[in-house]
This record gives sequence, structure tokens and C-alpha cells, in this order.
Amino acid sequence: MATLLQRSDASEFRKRYRWLVLFILCAFGACVVRLFYLQVLHSDVYDAKARRNIIGERRLATTRGVIRDSHGKVLAANRPSYNLYVVPAALDLDKTWPRLVELARLSESEAARTKEQLLKLKEHERKRDQQALLLVDLNRDVVASLKTFAEELPGVSVLSSSVRSYPYGTLGAHLLGYMREVDAEVLAEQPEAGFRAGDRIGAVGVERRWESYLRGQRGFRKFIRKRAMRERVEDLEERYLGEDRLREPAPGRDISLTLDMDLVESAERAMRGQLAGAVVVVDVRTGRILAAHSKPGFDPNVASGASGQEAVKEAFQSYYSDPMTPTLDRTVSAAYPPGSTFKPFSALTALEKDIVRPAEQVDCRGGYEYGKRYFRCTGVHRHVNLHEALVQSCNTYFYELGSRVKIDDLAEIGARFGFGVKTGIGINPEARGRMPTRAWYTRQYRGAFRGGFTLLAAIGQGATTVNVLQLTLAYAALANGGTLYRPQLVRSIETADGTVVQDFPPRVRRVIELDQGDLSRVQAAMVGVVTEKRGTAHGARIEGVDMAGKTGTAQVSPLAPRGSDQSDVAYFNRDHAWFAGYSPTVSPEIAVVVLIEHGGGGGKNAVPVAMRIVRDYERLKRERLAAAKQAPAVQKRDFP
Amino acid sequence: MARSTKSFRSGPEVDMPLLITVVAIASIGIINLYSATSAYVDATQRSALADVYVTQIYWFVIGLLLAMLTAVIDYRHFERLAPILYFGGLISLGLVFVLATDVRGSARWIQLGSFSYQPSEFMKPLVVLMVARHIQNDTKTEARSFFDLIVPIGIAAVPAALVMLQPDLGTSLIYLTSTAAMLSITRIRTATLAWMAGGFVVSTILMWNFGLKAYQRGRVTSFLNPEKDATGTAWHAIQSQTAIGNGGLFGEGFMQGTQNQFGFLPDQHSDFPFSVFAEEFGFVGCLVLIGLYCFLSIWSLHIASQAKDRFGAALAVGTGGIIFFQAFFNMGMSMGILPVVGITLPLFSYGGSSLVTMLISLGLLMSVSMRR
Repeated sequence: MATLLQRSDASEFRKRYRWLVLFILCAFGACVVRLFYLQVLHSDVYDAKARRNIIGERRLATTRGVIRDSHGKVLAANRPSYNLYVVPAALDLDKTWPRLVELARLSESEAARTKEQLLKLKEHERKRDQQALLLVDLNRDVVASLKTFAEELPGVSVLSSSVRSYPYGTLGAHLLGYMREVDAEVLAEQPEAGFRAGDRIGAVGVERRWESYLRGQRGFRKFIRKRAMRERVEDLEERYLGEDRLREPAPGRDISLTLDMDLVESAERAMRGQLAGAVVVVDVRTGRILAAHSKPGFDPNVASGASGQEAVKEAFQSYYSDPMTPTLDRTVSAAYPPGSTFKPFSALTALEKDIVRPAEQVDCRGGYEYGKRYFRCTGVHRHVNLHEALVQSCNTYFYELGSRVKIDDLAEIGARFGFGVKTGIGINPEARGRMPTRAWYTRQYRGAFRGGFTLLAAIGQGATTVNVLQLTLAYAALANGGTLYRPQLVRSIETADGTVVQDFPPRVRRVIELDQGDLSRVQAAMVGVVTEKRGTAHGARIEGVDMAGKTGTAQVSPLAPRGSDQSDVAYFNRDHAWFAGYSPTVSPEIAVVVLIEHGGGGGKNAVPVAMRIVRDYERLKRERLAAAKQAPAVQKRDFP
Repeated sequence: MARSTKSFRSGPEVDMPLLITVVAIASIGIINLYSATSAYVDATQRSALADVYVTQIYWFVIGLLLAMLTAVIDYRHFERLAPILYFGGLISLGLVFVLATDVRGSARWIQLGSFSYQPSEFMKPLVVLMVARHIQNDTKTEARSFFDLIVPIGIAAVPAALVMLQPDLGTSLIYLTSTAAMLSITRIRTATLAWMAGGFVVSTILMWNFGLKAYQRGRVTSFLNPEKDATGTAWHAIQSQTAIGNGGLFGEGFMQGTQNQFGFLPDQHSDFPFSVFAEEFGFVGCLVLIGLYCFLSIWSLHIASQAKDRFGAALAVGTGGIIFFQAFFNMGMSMGILPVVGITLPLFSYGGSSLVTMLISLGLLMSVSMRR
């Protein structure tokens, strides 16, 4: 070590030597720490990343389940739609374009409009090199000729996609629903559902509620993205893909509804001439919904994008700006004052509480004085008992009844029949309606309960509201002796090959405690409404149609006083026209409720609609019976 | 001194730990190279790479012979030769601008007959020799001021500037860092060190704004924000880290690294051989390799501390500095703790010039070690 002493600052270096070693150790130590992080702590993350680099996944599309009515008619299915795409930069305007116009059979105006769109795209710096959608939903003949002459059309391609189709158009649209593009919210909230941007999802109605059944599960096929040339693809697949390299897509479940499309068509026909309203027909023995119609409606084909996204946007703009709210499902999503259709329930309350005797008469002189107020009747009925009061819809009688009954008793009977509570149909937002109680009024009017509220409640006015389906089910209970059913829309779920996966039996909500004698009196009065000469439905009856029920004319606005001529009143102030009933009168099968929004008098306007529907129901029953006799083995379903 | 009596009997004694470490690293490097380039066996595009490992073996043998030759010669002869070699190196660096073949935007190679060489690589030991010579002749005993350091820094800065123009940021960094390492054996005033630290910051800012090419700036910015630019430079860094992480504790196995075999690593034979190694041999393999580099770096400091004279000590520290900084920079960028700079992994990366130069430098180190 003597040599070191020659160096002037060798000792300096020996001191620093340790520091330099420490520096080296720190630097490599940092490397080791980082390696530990990458290779030990987070190895799984990078492992997955590396796998994703080499393994691709191709999605295999599934088919959405078909929706059918109770007789196998297809209500919602899938069909291929052919769209025309062009790469604007690659399309020759002088040579290819005229040929395209000719083959696609574009009208002059269409051609001009499309050409304008194309010219705009051609100028766009980025978009001119990308495939752009030019024409939507080409018909099959056009597709065929475009394919035949594909060589003459450089830059043009026809691609198919699957769109939802609803053969019945607007019929039953509110219950069926439509398809929309999945939005960011759904993507974020249901990561487990496997949605991707651009997927379509059921928007309302059955399509939405039964989405998870209808959708099916898409499959995938994994593949090696890039490959080292040294090895065979099979070996690489064996090594890197493992067992789960392929999952076949599982088609969605088919759904059979309780609806009878022939009856829905009948309801639609019967409602022609009316601007807005709703019809519900329910099987009183099961609670199954046989027909539901809400007017005005919308075309789910357009809403689902069969005519392109532009059309969807336009359609919804017009729906939302329309004062008639065509997207509103009037069968469940809106509540209306029931008017006189509530009187049978008031009568049942009075009989149960023994506050009127059936034979007791009230003298109707066109109104009823109560406190400082005068309550008007629809006419002058003179001496009427309970039966006559129901048949002629005498308000005065029910005001007298209302002056004796407690409002909470009315509300209690109403609640037994399902008013003020959601029916639980499960599709579309349901309006609960309201059965006002004393407590409710106390809250609402700061303690000042007045007897007049009970008088109005007894005739189904005031604060009482119901939705159409609630009323139908309540009338079904009146008809079947007091069994309140859960409404049923979905009859069964099936696999694509027709095997029934799940069959839904009717569900009884409750058996209503009733005195059968009281009920018989009310039923007899409802028969009288149609059959008796002074009955409110008598004038609009159709001979041979066996129906019982109750008319209603629900006042909407004090600006349309009772008895005034409705044609003088502004549309949105006019009375709602109701008819609620059942058929046949002996061992009833169906309950029918017709609501015509701002339709004026129930007897004049709603009864004919109900009559026609019941007539068609009977006709359909006869025809089907005859057909079944001729060919016992009826094919259950037809295919799209 | 037992050591010197022993060497008197059997001539200068070979530094076995040094030799074994060097041969070990180079051998692992060649094996790794075989795997790194095997992905291209049939791919027409880069089939030229398919048997570069054989070429690398040739270079290794040639380099080893040259290293032995260097080791046999007493390193003190190089003190006299240093100026001639250094200026020769500078001239060939200048020639690059006249003769160089352009490879991906930077001109680094000179074609000599059938093979090309990279003057900037050969310049590394020449800078070390020249600075060592300066330190040997600088007999000042008191601490050095900034003016005393102008000459050694200049010796490194001139070739560094030339190389920067090629452009090759990595190599010029090595000239400067290894010179800095060598200056650590001399005494420097604390104030001067502080000034220089300040100067470093200022020059970094100036370099950033005026000296660096856009792509070089891009490498640093994408290092700082890899998500911002996941397709460009950052993509390389991300794929490299993915490869390393994919290796896990014990590695995917030789020739089994998918990041490597499927071609997700850019320049895996020259710039990212460590990622290939880390993917196939895992954390355990990496510990061994880092251990070898760590030993080599510290061992050269050890040799320096025992060297007979200041020239030898400086030479050993400089050589160790080259190895340490290159290894640290290369591995650091592979694993994402440093920005991506084109610095090769010494003895490990493919490249004749780099391998032969490194072996000759190690021959010098051996020469110092054998004569301590």
C-alpha cells in the first residue's frame, strides 16, 4: 500500500470509495425495488396485459327473444336490415354515383339530398376516408341488384345489421316497448351485464322489464392476435387460449304474453274517432290482460331505429312536443277521476255499513243542498232507490249516501278493491291513484275537513283518482264475486325451440270480504244500466251483446259545469268519458274498461266502444271454437 | 506485500473474479440474444436478425482476444498513447457526418468494407484514457476550483457535443457521467461543486429548449406522462414494463416470453434485451444479472482503490463508471424508472462496436488490476 501514499489525495479517494459503493448499491437497489413491484407485487396485472396483447376476442352476436301474443302471433321479432355505406373519397361522382342512384332506385329528391350529404363528407378532412352511412334499410330487391353489380361500385358497401321489428306497428306499443341504444348510465351501472357502447336495450314496456330474459348471452371466440412464425397456430392456441376459447352465444328467451292481438285490434278499431284514451280488457277468472290499448300511440319500429338514427331523433322530438303525449301509457301511467264508475263501490260501502236500506228512496230534484253549497245532479230523477240510482246514475242519491257515510269507510272499501295502490303489473311506471281519507284531507287542507269532501268521494270525484288498469281489475272482482287478481301480462317464457321454461299461473291478490247479497244487488243494478230503459248505457247498447257495467262522466274542470254542452268547452277542459263493465252477465269472463279522455258523456261515447269490443270478443270466441272443432291440432305458433 | 512477491514468481496474476463476471454476463447476453431474435426466424422483414447471435459470438471472441492483448500490455503505455488515440477518435466522430449511413433518423455508423462500426462507442474508453492522463499529470494537492476542471470536462464535452449532433443523447451522457465519476477521485472545492450543480440545472434547461430534438423531448415527456401518449414512445415503455411484469417471480421460461416472441418489444436485441431477459427468467434471474453488474461496478472501484498510481485509479473508476451508468440507464428505462434513451446494456446488447469496445475497456481494467 506504499504506492498509495505517493498520491496526494489518495486518502481522499479511500474516503469517497465507500460513498461511491453506496451510490452504486442505491442505484441498483432502486432497480430491484422496481422489479419487485413489477414482477412480484403486480405480476398479475402485467400478465393480463401481456395476454391481451396476443389474445384477441371476437364477439359472437346473439338473437333477441321473440315476443308473441297468447295465440302465437309474433309481436316483436328480429329482421336483418341492410344499410349502404360509402367511403366518400373512394366514390367517383361522375361514374359511380349515377350508377348507384339507378341501382338504389333513388327518387330525384332523395338523390339530390344524398348527394349533398356526400359532397359535404367528401370535403371533410377526416371523414372522407372513413366509411359513412348513406342509406338506411334498403329493400331486398335493391340489395340484390347492388350485390350483383358490386364491381361497378367501388367505395360502396352494403352491410347488414339486425333490427327489432314490430309487425303490429303502433298496436300494443306501450306495453311492448321499443329498443334504444344503451347509454353511458347503463354502461356504468351494470358492468356485469356485459353491455358495450352501441348495444341496444329495451326501452319501455315488456322489452325493458324482461330485458335480461330477452337479450340472451353473447358468445366469444378467442384467437391469437399476432403469431411468431416459428410455431404452428394450433400449438399456440393450445398453450395460450386454454379451455375457454369459445363460448357459443345463447339466444334470448321467447316470451308469450296474455294479450290477444285480435282483441287489441278490435279495441283499436272501436277507439277510432276518439282522440285519446285507453282500453283494458282483463279475464275476470285469471287477471290476465287480454287487451290494452292506449291512444295516441307511437311506432316502435321507428323508435327502435329501423329507419335510421335520424328518424329516431325526429320521432322523439315530435313525441315530446306533442300535447297529446303519445308515449304516455294511459292504461297504467296516468290516474283519472273515476266519476260515476266508482258508485258501485260507494253502494257496497253503504250496504255493508247499513246506512241505507235498498228500498229506501231519495227525492232527486236536480241537486242536493249541503251546508252552504249546492251539489248538482245530472238531471231530475225524482224518487230513486239504490238500484235506480245506480242504473240512472243519480248523484243526488249518492250525495245523501255520502252525507251519512264516513269517508274512511269509502276509502277502506276502495282499498279492498285495490284503489290507491299499484296493481303491480311491473311494466311502465304506474300511477298509484288516490283514495282520500280523512287523514289525507287533514294534511292537505290544514285540519279543515269538510263533509262536502265525502259527498264528492261518493260519486268518484273530488280527490279520488284511479288508473284504468286498477278500475278494470276492481270491476273484474265485482264480476267474479270478489277475487282481486294481480294483473298478468306475461303468460310464459320459452326457449327459442319452443320449450316452456316458466309458465306463470294467475296470482290472486286477495279475496275481498264481501256480503254476497250486497254484491248481487250491485251486480243487478249494473245489468240494469244496460238493459233497463232508463239505464245510462241503454241508448248505446248493441242488441245481442250481454254486458253489465257502469258509465261515468268525470268532471275535469270547474269550467265545464255538469250538464253543459261539451262541444262549447275547450278540449282539455271537457269531461272524461268512462265505461266500466263485464261480460257476460252470468258467469262473467271479461272485464272491460273504456276511458275516453275529454270524451264528454260516458253513456254516449264510451259505451259504444265497450259494446263493440265485447261483441268482437264473443265473435272471436265462436270463430276459434269452430276452428278448433274442424282442426283439433292447431299449430300453436307461426314464425316470422 | 504477499501479492507482489507472488506475481514476481508467476508473472502478473489474472483477476479471476473480473474475468468470470465478464464472461458470465456476455454468455447470458448471447443466450438471451438467441431468444430475442428467434421471433424473426421466418419473418422476411427482419430475417437478417435471425442469426445475429452467431455474429455476437464472433465479436465476443474477437473482443476477448483484444482484451487479453490490452491486459498484457502495461496500462501505463496507454498514458503516452492517449492523446493520439483521443484525437483519432475525434476525427472519426467528425467523419461520421461525412460518411455515415443513416439508420432511423440518426447517423451513427461508418461503413468499413463489409462491416460498419460506431465511432461513438470506441470513443468511450478514449475519453476515459484522456481524462485519466489529465488526472495523472494534475499534481495539485489542494482542492480544485472550477478552472482546474475546465480541461477534463472539456475532454468529455467535445466528443459529447459531436455525438449529440448525430443525434445520440445516450452516448454523450455516458462520456459526461463517466468523466464525472473519474473526477470524484480528486479533491474539489465544495463551492465549485455547488456552482457546478447550479450550472447543471441551467444547462439542462437550456438543452431542453435548444439542444434536444423533438423526439428526445417526447421521450422525457412521455416518461413523465405515459397515459398521454400511449402509442408513441410511451408505448415502448409500457410494453417493456409489461414484459418485465409478465415474467413474474421465476419467468416465463427461455424462449417463452410472449412480449418478446410476439414482437411487442421495440429493438429487443439492442435497446430492450433486459426486458426479454426479465420476461423469460423472472425476478430471480434479474437479481442474478443485477448482482453481476453491481459486482462489476464495485469491483472496478476496488481495483481503483488499490491501483499503483493516479492514472490507473482514474482508468479503473472511468471504466467502472461506463459499465455502471450504462447498466443503470438501460435497465432503468426498461423498467420505467428512467426515460427511454438509446443506451445499450453493456456486454449484453447486440452490437459489435459496443461489445468489442466494452471488452477492450475491461482489458484496460484487467491490466490495472494485474499491476496493483
